[in-house]
This record gives sequence, C-alpha cells and structure tokens, in this order.
Amino acid sequence: MGSEATYTDSTNLKLRELLKEAQHDYSPESTKIINDFVCSIKKAIDQIPEDLQVTADLGPGFVRDIGADKVEFKFKKPKSIEIGGSYSFQCVAKPDVHVDLFLRLPKECFYEKDYLNYRYHAKRFLYLCIIKKYLKLSSLIQEVRWSTFHNEARKPFLVVYPAARLSGNAAFFVKIIPTSTSLFCASKLILERNNVRSLNQEGVLQATPKYNSSILEDMFLEDNFEFVKRTFMGWKELGEALILLKVWARQRSSIYAHDCLSGFLISIIMAYLASKSGKNRINKPMNVIQILRITLDFIANSKIWDHGLYFQPDGESNISNKDRRKQFQSFPVIICDSFGFNLAFRMSLSGFQELRDEASLALSCIDKCKDGGFDEMFMTKIDFPAKYDYCIRLNLKGSREVYSCGFCLDEECWRKYEQKVLSIIDQALRGRTKLVRVIWRNATFECNIEDGLSTLDGEALLIGISINSMEEAFKQAVMGPSPEEKDKALEFRKFWGDKATLRWFRDGKIAEVAVWEHEESERHIIIKEIIEHVLSHHLSLPKENIISIVDQLDFSLRHGNKDPISFSVNLLKAFDNLSKHLRLLDDIPLRISSVQPLDSAFRLTSVFPPPPHPLAYEDSVGVKPQKLTSTCIQPLEVMIQLEGSGNWPMDDLAMEKTKSAFLMKIGESLQEKWGISCTATEDDVDVFLSGYAFRLKILHERGLSLVQKQGNAHVKRVLSSDKKLFVRGQHSSMINGLRGRYPIYGPVVRLAKRWVSAHLFSNSLTEEAIELLVAYLFLKPLPFRPPSSRITGFLRFLRLLSEYDWSFSALIVDINGDLTPEDDKEINHNFMSNQREYKDNMQNISPAMFVATVYDKASEAWTSVSPTAAELRRLATYAASSAKFLTSVIMQNLNDSYRWECLFRTPLNNYNAVILLHRDKLPFPHRLLFPSEINQGRKILHGNPSKIFQPFLLPGDLRGSLEEMKNKLMVNFDPLRYFIHDIEREFPEKFKVWYDSLGGDAIGLTFGNKSSKKRGRNNNCEDKDVVDSLRAVGELGKGFVRNIYLLKAPKNKLRHGYLRSVSDRD
Amino acid sequence: MAAEDSHKKMKKRKHTKKNIEQNSVKENSQLPESEDNFYKGNKDKKNKKKYSGEKGDTKTVGMSNIKDESDAPGGGKKKSKKLRAEKKKNDKIAKAEVNDVGTPCNDEGQDEFSDKKETSNEAGECKMHKSMKKKRKNAKTLDVSEVDKLDNEGEDAAEQKNDEEKVGATHTEHEDLMASFRGLSEAETSRSANARNSKKARKIKKKDRLLVNQSSQENSVEKKGEAEEYEVYEMSSGDEDSSKGMKKWITEYHQSRPGLKVLQERIDDFIAAHEAQEEQARREREAKAAEGGWTVVVHHKGRKKTSDAESGTVVGSVAQAAVLDKMAKRKNKDAGPDFYRFQRREAHRNEIMMLQSKFEQDKKRIQQMRAERKFRPY
Repeated sequence: MGSEATYTDSTNLKLRELLKEAQHDYSPESTKIINDFVCSIKKAIDQIPEDLQVTADLGPGFVRDIGADKVEFKFKKPKSIEIGGSYSFQCVAKPDVHVDLFLRLPKECFYEKDYLNYRYHAKRFLYLCIIKKYLKLSSLIQEVRWSTFHNEARKPFLVVYPAARLSGNAAFFVKIIPTSTSLFCASKLILERNNVRSLNQEGVLQATPKYNSSILEDMFLEDNFEFVKRTFMGWKELGEALILLKVWARQRSSIYAHDCLSGFLISIIMAYLASKSGKNRINKPMNVIQILRITLDFIANSKIWDHGLYFQPDGESNISNKDRRKQFQSFPVIICDSFGFNLAFRMSLSGFQELRDEASLALSCIDKCKDGGFDEMFMTKIDFPAKYDYCIRLNLKGSREVYSCGFCLDEECWRKYEQKVLSIIDQALRGRTKLVRVIWRNATFECNIEDGLSTLDGEALLIGISINSMEEAFKQAVMGPSPEEKDKALEFRKFWGDKATLRWFRDGKIAEVAVWEHEESERHIIIKEIIEHVLSHHLSLPKENIISIVDQLDFSLRHGNKDPISFSVNLLKAFDNLSKHLRLLDDIPLRISSVQPLDSAFRLTSVFPPPPHPLAYEDSVGVKPQKLTSTCIQPLEVMIQLEGSGNWPMDDLAMEKTKSAFLMKIGESLQEKWGISCTATEDDVDVFLSGYAFRLKILHERGLSLVQKQGNAHVKRVLSSDKKLFVRGQHSSMINGLRGRYPIYGPVVRLAKRWVSAHLFSNSLTEEAIELLVAYLFLKPLPFRPPSSRITGFLRFLRLLSEYDWSFSALIVDINGDLTPEDDKEINHNFMSNQREYKDNMQNISPAMFVATVYDKASEAWTSVSPTAAELRRLATYAASSAKFLTSVIMQNLNDSYRWECLFRTPLNNYNAVILLHRDKLPFPHRLLFPSEINQGRKILHGNPSKIFQPFLLPGDLRGSLEEMKNKLMVNFDPLRYFIHDIEREFPEKFKVWYDSLGGDAIGLTFGNKSSKKRGRNNNCEDKDVVDSLRAVGELGKGFVRNIYLLKAPKNKLRHGYLRSVSDRD
Repeated sequence: MAAEDSHKKMKKRKHTKKNIEQNSVKENSQLPESEDNFYKGNKDKKNKKKYSGEKGDTKTVGMSNIKDESDAPGGGKKKSKKLRAEKKKNDKIAKAEVNDVGTPCNDEGQDEFSDKKETSNEAGECKMHKSMKKKRKNAKTLDVSEVDKLDNEGEDAAEQKNDEEKVGATHTEHEDLMASFRGLSEAETSRSANARNSKKARKIKKKDRLLVNQSSQENSVEKKGEAEEYEVYEMSSGDEDSSKGMKKWITEYHQSRPGLKVLQERIDDFIAAHEAQEEQARREREAKAAEGGWTVVVHHKGRKKTSDAESGTVVGSVAQAAVLDKMAKRKNKDAGPDFYRFQRREAHRNEIMMLQSKFEQDKKRIQQMRAERKFRPY
C-alpha cells in the first residue's frame, strides 16, 4: 500500500502545481478586464453603419486568389456576438490565453446559393475586413491582425490585441471567429456534391468534400461548441484533464498541428467519451489521472477509430457503421457530430498515426517512468529536431509550382503540396522509415491576407522522418522490378529518373536498381541523397532549397575528408592479432588466460581512433613512412589476465612491481619470438604490432578481492588500480554490447565527447561518464524512441545534460537490464547517503553527478572526482544554450556551415585567464577544430616555441634507418597533459584548469575559491600577484605556451555568459 | 559636447569624400568613447540619449550603430565605397568591444559601472559575431578594399609611433591576403586578430584627437602609463633549460624509458629488497617466538590449503570460487533478518518511515521547483 500511495501522491502534487501554472486565473478583476474589452469590441462593431456597400475592393487579392465571383453585399450587423471557446468553460490553458468571440453572420448578406464557388468564403472575409477597419479606430485596441482557422487560409479570422493587460501583466487576446449557423441548407453541402464548379475533369464535376466540410464547420460551430460546453460545465476533473491534455499536446509540435490535433478536437474526443454515444467511458467519480489515462488509452488503442466516432442524436441509430464509413470514405479519421458533419475532416492519416503513436508512448511513460511520467509527458518539449531522426526543410518561398493549379479547389494548394511531398518521400524511402511527417505551417500570424495568398509560403515546409532499423534504412540499393515487367520497370525508371540502372546480380537475376554507394561510416548520408534526388527530380526544386539535417556536424569528427572511424577495422584486426600472439606465449611463468580491450577505440566510441602508424609494425614488416608521419602515437590499453597462482605477494606495491616484471617478460618474449618490438617504463609496457601501440595491463583478481573488503568500509574513495582495471573492463564490454545493439550509439558518443572537450570540459567529465550518459538516452528513451541519427542523439544528449535533476535523482544506466529491484534500492540508498554527506559538508568538493551501473552501484568509478557542483552547473548552462542553438539552427532558415561550427566554438571570455598554445607543438595538430585567438583582455606573456619537439617527422628523419626512426617515435607523449599536470601540481588551489584533451590550443583558467575570496575591489597588489603567478604558469609551459591573456570575467556573470553569446548569434 | 565639436570642425575642414567617410567612421567609433566621457560626468545630450538607450537594451545600440553607419556614408555613393564602409563598420563594432573590455581592465575605480560595461561588452560580442559572419561572406569581394584600408591604418599607427602596433597592422595585412586563400575558420580568426590590433592603434590615436576633453585626456594618459607598466613578458623557448616546459617533458619521457634491461634490474632489486625485508620481519617474529614468548594460533576457517607453500602450485581460482559459493549457500541457512516477529515489524516500520521521509523530501523538492518556476510548461 505504501509505495503505491506515495507514487500517486507525489505525482498528484506535481500535477497540482502544473495546473496552477497552466490554468487561467478567473478572478473577478481579470474577468472584468476581459468582459470590458469584449464589450468595447461589441460596441465598436455596433457602430458600423448598416447597409454599407461592400465590394471586392476591400481585399481584392484574396477574392481573386480563391476564385470567387459575385461577392458584393450590403453590410448588416451580426446576428449575435457570443463568447465561446475554452475560455467560456474555464479550460483555457496558458500561455495562450484567448477568448473566442463567435460572430454570427447575418443571413441578409448572403444569397441562398452562396455556398457555391467560394462566394461564402469571400463574403465572410470581406465582412471581417469591414470589422477590422472599424475595430482599428478604437483606442482600447492595440492591434488587429489576421490569422487563419487551423491553418486554413481560405478561412481567416481576426485576432484583436487589447491595450490593457491582465493582472501580473499577462497578455491575452480575442479571436473573432465568424459562424454561419443555418445560413445554408446542409443537404446542399453533403460530401458527394460538387460546389466548386471549376473543379472538373473533362467536364465531369468532382465531389468537393473538403470544401463542403469547410463551410459546414462554420455552420455547426456554435452548436458543437454548445454541446462541449454543456459537457464540461461544472465538471472540474474533466476540465482539468483537458488542460493537462492540452499541455501534453502542445509540447508535441508534431501532433498539435492543423492536420492532427487541436484544443477543440481534444475536448470533442473527451466529450464523446463522457457521452452516451461513447458509452460513458468517462464518468463522474473519476479523478483527473484516470480521465487522462482513459482518454490517452482510447486514442492509442481503441478499435472504434476504424469505423469512426459518431455522436448519436437520441434514439436514432438505424444506419450501420459500415454504411457511414462509406459515406465518409474520403476522410481517414471520422468524428461525426450529431448533424452528420465530420469534425476531424482536416486530420490526415500520417497525423493520426503520429497521434496514436504519441498517445501510446504517453501511456508507457505513465507506467514506466517515475512520478507517473510527469516530466516526460508534460515538461519535455518534443519538437521536430528532438523527435525525428532526420529533419528536412524545404524552402518554398516564391515557388510558383505550389499554386500552379490555383490556390484553392477542393483543398488548398499547400495541403495538396504536403500530400505530394509525403507520397514522394514515402515511395522513395519505402521500407526504410517508420513514419514520415510533413507539416507546412504556412499561414502564420504576420500574413497580410488582403494582398492575396501567394505570400503564404514564407515558412519552410518541415519533413520529419523516423527510422525503423538502421540496417534497412542504410541499404545502398533500391531494388526494382526485372526489366521484363515492362510497365513496372517503366514506372520505376520514371520515379527514379537517371538514378535507375540495370544490374546483373550474382544469382543471375537482372533487375532495375537505384544505387547509392557509400563507405560504412558515411551510410547515413544515403537517406539525404535519396531525398534530395527524388525531391529535385519530381518537384524540380533546386538543391539549395532542400535542407536536410543529416551530416552537418560530421566536420567535427573528421581528419581532412576522412572519418577516422574507418580505421577501426584495422584496429580490431590488430587486436585479434595481438591476443593470438599473447595466448601463444609459453615461455612465461604464468600463461595468459584472457585478453580484453579497454580503450574506447575498440568499442568505436573514440573521437579519433588512431590510424595505423607506419613505424609501429613488427620488425619483419617494413612500411615506408610517408610525409607527415606523426612522431607521437596513442597507446591503446589492453587488459590481460594470468592463470591463477598462490605465489603473488600480498603487498600492494610489491604486487604492482610483480605485474611490471611480468609485462616486461611478456614484452621480451614477444620480441624474441616474433620480433614484435616494445618499449617500457616502470609502470607501462607498450607493444608495437600491426601499426598500433598496445599498452598492456594486468588484472589480478586477488587484488580485487582485497580491495573489495576495504571498499565496504567506505574508507577509500579512490579506487585501487586493480579495481579500476576491473571496472574499466566491465564498462568496456558492456558498452561494446550496447554499441552492437544500437549502431548509431558510437557516432552520438563521439559527437558528445567532441562537444564536451571543445568547450574545455575534458577535466570535468570523463569519457566513460559521457558514454554512460549517451547510453542512458538509448536505454531510457521515453518520451521518445531511441535515437537513430547522430544529430538527434546529440541534441538529446545536450538536453539530458542540461535538464537532468542531478541533485535529486541518481542516473541509473542499466545496460543489460539486469538490475533487480534490490539493486535499485541499494543504488538509491547509496545516492541518499551520498547526498547527505554532501549536505553535511558543503565546502567539500564532492561529486555532483551520481551515475550508477551494474558494476558500480555507488557511482565511484567515473564521477567521484568530477564534475563538482560548480562544474556541473557550468556544463548544464553550456549544454542548454548549445541545445537551444542547435534547435534553432535545425528549425530556422540558417544553414551556413559557420552556424553549425558555432556549436563547437567555445567563447573564451568566460575565464579569468586564457593560455594559448603553440599549435604546431600539439601532438596531433590536425585534430584542432578551430584555432583560438583572443581579442580582449590583457596580454601578459608571450612565449617562443620550442625547437626540440616536432609533431611530425622531419624530412631529414625520414632518410634515416628504420631503427632510428623508431627511436623518434614517442608513445603517449602529450605536452598538454604534462602541462596541465604541472599547473595542477604547482597551483592546486589557485587555479582551476579547463582544457580540451582532444587537441585544443586554448586552456582556460579560473581562480580557485580561495583567491577569489581574497580578491578585493581595487586590490592592486592582488592584481600584481595574479600576473606574477600567471607568468609562473607560463614558465611551466616553456616552449609550449604562446600567449597568456588576463581577462576579468566577473565571477557572478560566468554562468550566463555563454548562454548569451551563443544565443545572440541568431 | 566637446567630442561633437571637434568632430564638426573636422568635417568643415576637410571636404574630400574620403575624409567624410573617415569622419563617419569616427562618429561611430565615438560611441564607445563617449561612454567613457559619460562616466566621467560629461553631460553630452546626444551621448546621453544613446547611452540610455544602451542601458535599456543592448541590442538597440547595435541597431543604431549600424544605422548610423549606413546613413553616414549613404547618399548614393559607389558600391565599392559602400563595401568599404561596411568593412569599417565591422571593424568599428569589433572596436567597440575592445574598447569596452579595455577600459575596465585599465581603469580601476570604475567598478561601479562594471555591470553596465558587461552588457555593452556582450553586445560587442554579439556584434562581433555578426561582423565576423559578414566578413566571411564578403571575404573575396572585400579583399582589395581591405588591403587599401589597412594601409590607412598602417599610416595611423605610424603616426602614433607605436612600433609594435604597426607591426601588428602590417602583419595582419599580410595575414588578410593569406586568409582569403585559406580555410574559412582560419580566415575568421586571423581577421578578428587583425581587427583587434588595428583597433588598438586607432583607439589610441582617437584618444589623442580628443584633447579638447580634459578628462578623457587624463584618461588616455593614465591608460598609456598603465600599458607601459604591464608590458608583455617575453619568454624564451626554454630549449636550453630542462627544469621546466617542453624540454623537461621530453627529457623525462626519455629518462623514463631506459630500456627493458635496466627496468628489469630495477624491479629485481626492488623485489629482492622487499623479500629481504619480509624475510627479516619473519625472522624477527620467529626469534620472538623462540625466545620463549608465545604466539596466537589463528584457526583458519574453511578448506585446507591445497597448495604447497614453497612451490606455489595451483590453488586455483576454482577452489576460491567454490569456497565463496559454499559460503553463499551457508548464508541462506542462517536466520534471516525477518526471523523474529519484532524484526519484521521493525523492518516494516523502517520502510514506512523511509517512504515518508522520501515523500517529505519530494514535497520539499516540489516547493523548490515551484520557486524556480519549473512547472511552467512553456
């Protein structure tokens, strides 16, 4: 009982808070303000003189473009002006506080046959034009603008902004929506009729269901609204559930769209469920959560959708559902009101599928996430960039093709275009995708409808694509029919254009195919190329107007033109080779029982897996070094285990020494047997094989159990070397398994790592911690599905980093799903005690990130030292602004590569001092993303480059013997690391160092806590002291440091600096 | 006022187009300058207006700045000039930034304005980005005019007799030419560097021209003084000194790899010493025992050791695992924590207490989140 109660209770608490934020405040004051404003609108409309002659001149563009004839009428006052919409039954959800005003058009202005040929639409518009003209005269009204009814440009309405504001300075506005109750005879507008005469095929008139529905909607708007209002009035729980559902839907831009859900449709569906026709699925005793759940479950799973939802007028149900389905065959979704009009006539099939999908995801959030999925359902923004694996924008501004057949026939041209794009992409990517969504929000607020409809293409058309499986999606060929089936072959050729070719397959089959050939690491581009090809082929769109977000961040992972991940094949081969040789060794005291990779390059999550080095081959193999041969080589760590023995020393130090002795013996015997050379220090042995340097490490199980005993007593925070090795081995194999399950995992991790180090956080977040964070995205994807593209994955990583509530919850990464509830309990217990410790001891720079895994339930492995709370705050701020920036780059019309680069360019003004290094003294200068320069602060030091270190072999060296060259090769030589180490040793309290371990040329320094406290205002002496110690820092990096700048970044502004500097760029 | 006046005078004096353009440039660069004046209590109306605008919204300054720019050289001039003007505008923007950053660095006692400066600093920054972008777009077309302009700057710098700055200017000129052939990112950074250097030169020049204004004169003198005080410290490459820096790292690297033989010897020595130590400790213990004292005999639980202590043949991990397994099995037989009723009751109570405390904590957290407006879904 206990757990269940708290579970719902804390959810309830949160829901209450959310409702408080989202509900409009219906206090007497604000009601009065709104009522007064509505009154003043009514008054203004009342002052319009009767019998004013109205002609098309008020909005000639509109009338021309929708193709109406005979639009003159004499103005009469509206029949009635009533407050409607969700405001009237207290269900309006912030921030969109608006009041719908239903303005009933007077019958006198219309003729009986005005439902024909867009005359109704034109007159409706002209009527509003008059009203707009007079409303503008009122002083209480700040502005009157056009908007469109559910993005339907032929049905505009007025949005009136008041000069007054509600309490708390909240804005509101009034929508003036015309209705046409009983204006026309409904039977003339049944779906099979044609009412737009220009729509015919060779003289045969075609049915105009959409057009008819568009008029019917206006006719029944007030009645349907009345019905909804009756249902919701006085039913508090239902109303609250409606608000929650609105919040839920609004967070999902893919379903809160013109061809899917609207606030009105949600309330209709709920009203249906609460009505007799809906079998009273929702009834009075239910609470908000239950109503929410039932509604979502109905949307997601009900079979009734196949036939359609019907509101039955009392006692009248003689027509079977099948007949009705037939009647509405032109619509994919049917919600039929009691008058026989389909309320969901705008809903498209893809929109509806998406809706059901989202609803079922929401249900699993409720079941699986903590707090009943509160955060996932209501607080997480699910926009296009985060939801879809591939986003494509089509810039159609000024594209005449869109309205070549006229703006509005049965449907509007933009909707037609949406469908066309969807069908092309669907066909082109058949089998590759799970869902394709095409939305063109073309009619935005700023449009000037009077001037015609051709300007309604300013917004880009958005395409979102979800991928099923990577294997399918990245297939290189589209198989077509055999050329013998002539019709099909012709069709195939027509669709694929010049990409279609005939191929003879190995099994003797001959078939038409369209092929996109790419290397393994570049396969993700295939989808982009297919889309660009078919869209430009069928829609004759120029390539620059098709912007697909696919590979824009790849630059950060490349060396020149090549993604170094392609070296991984060699690497894995070399590793196999190594382990074979190691197992074969028989002249060492204990045989090697297992060889396990540790380095991230083996699990394809290293940003720069090393290329094979020409000087790191066995003696027998001579590979000629080319130009630009690096003098440094990254060693790759490999863990080996030996046979058991009782003769190991028990002492820690002695054990380590014995290990080294073993390793040296191994190195020696490799050398003797196969001529595999090696180099060693007291701690490490590096073996050169097949172009790689492998660093061997021995894991000794005995050492492990020794430590475990100690670890239980919570004595040691720092893990012993054996424990570390063990944990790394576990991590490595688990991540490798995960990578096998999700092929896109590797690239996402690589981007994430690159981002973290590009912003100088190498010191704060370990590689393994990043891997676990990204793993979490794949293992606990709700409210999404696991990402299938690198940019989506990367964006979600940034959002996770910025939004996760680290101080309150542990991040549990359960890679193989083998954590039991007891384990969870243990982890939570560890987390709580950790937090308590933290609270007890605030000065203690204790870990702020609790990441637990199967092999590390107390989060000691990767985040016990860093990030600290301050570092984490900084990380989160950077991540938040990067995420925001990335979203805007994807969604908006800014696609120059410079903007993409901004994601990885770090501002250098957020540090107290910045050290710039000599770029050509970096061990791998080609990994530098952007050369850093500083244009502010005071330069206080300039250093000359050292001549004794060159990152590449000089031409002179290349002429020497192989042996000499090999001696020049330096394993794991990294001046940056040494420099950082020296600074941290010399100034442990004074400076906090921020750097990029992946090859950045800038180091940021911030003053440690101690010195900042001392720093007074005009403390000249202190200043001098800082300059002196910065010079001392420079001395530590003699020959490596280029410049040191002293900036005076004010401490309190640090947190937001980056945010602004990035977001201001757009 | 004074700044304005001097500016107007100059306008009257020189009528050539080029100069007008220069003036326009000046007018704009005056903006950050005049801020300084404002701080010092110089109540120039126009400046004040502009400044107050800036206070309110940093962006508007950016806008007005740009507008000024386009107005000044406007009046239908040739295209190339426009381009030049634009280029200058960018420089100006960058300069505004340098200027702003520069002053807080040098002028102590202006701390009370630091907040405002920060905002302008940031505005500068964003402008900087914009300018960088624009520059990149225009990179090719502007090349010629840029060099041309840089020449001017070179002259200015020479006037100033500030050798270092001049070197900077000419250097960047060269850089600029190179940049157009190099990659984009490289071009940008070198340019921003260029902007910075040339800016400094001009900043100082401008200061001198504003001699009329007493306070700003003092200001500039002061700055110059400080600049001299903190001259850039030149550091050698350190290739001869192996105590620090690159040389040290390389030396250490090589020293740590004396070859397998040496290392093995070292380890052997260590092990030998270690064993000797242990041996001695053992002997001491034995000696103690032999002396007639007594030792505690500890009972070893579990299986007897299967291996010979001297030869050290396999005990094996298998045996160990077996023991552990056995232990685990035995553990199950032991009385569990819920054997007695009071234990169960206690456990139950504990659990409820924990849940309660968790719920309290949740509530506290929710309070906190409400304060942070975390429940606002928009």
